[in-house]
Amino acid sequence: MLKKYQEAYTTKNVQFVLTDLAGNILDSDQTFLPINKMGTIYDIHPFFYCFSSIATDLKTEVFFSCVHLNFDGKAYITDIKFIKKEEGVLIIISDYTQHYEEYQAIAQARNESIINGELIAIKNAELEEREKFKNSFIRNFSHELRNPLTSIISITKIISDTELTDQQQNMLSFLKESNANLKLLLDDIMSISMISSGRLVLRNNIFSLPQLVDLINFTYKARANESDLQFAIKSDKKIPEFVEGDRLRLFQIITNLLDNAFKYTNSGKVNLEIQFNQKRANKISLRFEVKDTGIGIPEDKIESIFESFSQLNQSSTKSKGTGLGLSIVKGLLQLMNSEIKVQSKPGKGSTFYFDIVLKQPIPNMTKPQVKMVAKKKETILKLRSDKKYKILLAEDDINVQTVLFKLLLDTKYFSIDVVSDGALVMEQLINDEYDLLLIDINLPNVTGDQVARLIRDFPFKNIKNIPIIGITAYAFEDNLKTIKSSGMNAILSKPFEHEELIKILFKYLK
Amino acid sequence: MQVSKKIVVLGHFGVGKTSLIRRFVEDSFSDNYKVSIGVHITKKVVEISVGHEISLILWDLEGTDDLKTIRDAYLLGTHGVVFVFDVTRPSTFQGLNTDLEIVKSKMPSLPLLVVGNKADLVVKKDLEEVLSKNAIETDFLTSAKTGDAVNDMFLKLAKLLD
Repeated sequence: MLKKYQEAYTTKNVQFVLTDLAGNILDSDQTFLPINKMGTIYDIHPFFYCFSSIATDLKTEVFFSCVHLNFDGKAYITDIKFIKKEEGVLIIISDYTQHYEEYQAIAQARNESIINGELIAIKNAELEEREKFKNSFIRNFSHELRNPLTSIISITKIISDTELTDQQQNMLSFLKESNANLKLLLDDIMSISMISSGRLVLRNNIFSLPQLVDLINFTYKARANESDLQFAIKSDKKIPEFVEGDRLRLFQIITNLLDNAFKYTNSGKVNLEIQFNQKRANKISLRFEVKDTGIGIPEDKIESIFESFSQLNQSSTKSKGTGLGLSIVKGLLQLMNSEIKVQSKPGKGSTFYFDIVLKQPIPNMTKPQVKMVAKKKETILKLRSDKKYKILLAEDDINVQTVLFKLLLDTKYFSIDVVSDGALVMEQLINDEYDLLLIDINLPNVTGDQVARLIRDFPFKNIKNIPIIGITAYAFEDNLKTIKSSGMNAILSKPFEHEELIKILFKYLK
Repeated sequence: MQVSKKIVVLGHFGVGKTSLIRRFVEDSFSDNYKVSIGVHITKKVVEISVGHEISLILWDLEGTDDLKTIRDAYLLGTHGVVFVFDVTRPSTFQGLNTDLEIVKSKMPSLPLLVVGNKADLVVKKDLEEVLSKNAIETDFLTSAKTGDAVNDMFLKLAKLLD
């Protein structure tokens, strides 16, 4: 068994050559190299040009390993030893070609793997750099577009409140639709940019899944009526009332899938089904399935529909939208450790589905905040006023949102509208009139202090002068100072007493 | 007898030492990377001025990222040194100044050329920026593939050795 290995490390080819100190060959045993005994060592191979410098200082011996020699058209890999002798120099040339070829194969594999690794790392760094630049460009670009778009939307609103001819009304409705599409495009670009740059962080909170389903049902029932389609939601009875997950992003995934289904369904129905898969410990797995009777997707197009700006059947006039919806769905589900799947037949329809795991909170933990609100109700009522004020609440944390909403509503002196995204605040203020803005600082997309700056720079007085109360978990003094410098009237640090909130609201309400 | 000068060509593995020598000696190039082990020795006679020739004995040493491990025997009787790095792989030039210190300590007072190879694969302006950022001064930027600056580089060294 050892023979094959021994052969590589032992050699019968050992040649002895004796020279004088000038390099003249005195003798050679000709074992494997037919050396001219009348010649000099320099004639054998360029390697032996080193002989003169070796012979000059040779004390005992000098050894060279792995020297490639070509001799009469044949390649050898040898070890060569120069030993000082009475007559001059004894040169021993040992042929280890087989052994060194094996070593070469190992070195080849090792070096190639290292070089490939380095090149991949360089390529990745380059791609990362490009992606970073692209995302930063998109972010700045869409932010910059939001300001003029806000003005366009507000001016559109002002014009729509004036007396217009039928033709002007028609043109205005096109303008409104274009504004809405542009805004949708900006929101989608922002989402996809945040997903691909890894800046999008999921915000898990406890929320009511049935409430979310009700909201979806309400929205899409109306849309189905407009489109002469049927719409139904089927929800498994085992689904718990409260779950913990990112409500906003789950809502975005489902509505993107539904929007897509409505977009490509001319007749028939669109259904949403929520199935209970399983429960393990305090985690539940749910399947969300959006099924339509639309145009379907050819098999060879299924992969590409999840790419950004991809739209099936580009020529179809009905295919409105950004072409980013499914790409956003794919990215968001990846963040949630899930995957979008699709089954489709052209002409028959499509089914998009995904499974996600959500936490099921301990029942007692889901409602105490509401109870606390009820307890505080009497104190609040002491501060009642005769006027009913309209407040816009901008808050993405569903728990805080629910508590504040209920607290303010229970006083019976406030009517409340809620938005969860900083980017939606300006639009809401333009489209409706509010007495006060209650805004969280750490909102997604556009932060509360950025919103405050936009408002204070706004040209129209009713918006520019609205009282703004910020709420924040950044309790440090310098943070609060920075935030307040954005133009907010007051800042409330979390956690705060309800009386404190009501007091501050009444202080700034006119 | 013609004057012969020993030149050792050093550098990390995969930087193109063998390719540079092949381009210089045979005027050929192969894209297939074959790892060199040990030492290959070739000879080329160059005319450095009219009627004045010099025989260059080129020692193509196995690439290593630790120059301290090069056997001293390989360096015996060296007249000139070419240190090659790969302009596309930062790992081959990020420690270049330290590598050169080692080379100089092993072979003091010898003519030494610093060569950035594979220059055809990068944009010159970007390359200059990277080299300047890494405080690297080169004598030649070569391409064994296109042959760019290869002969000039060896010829310059030959003249320095004369």
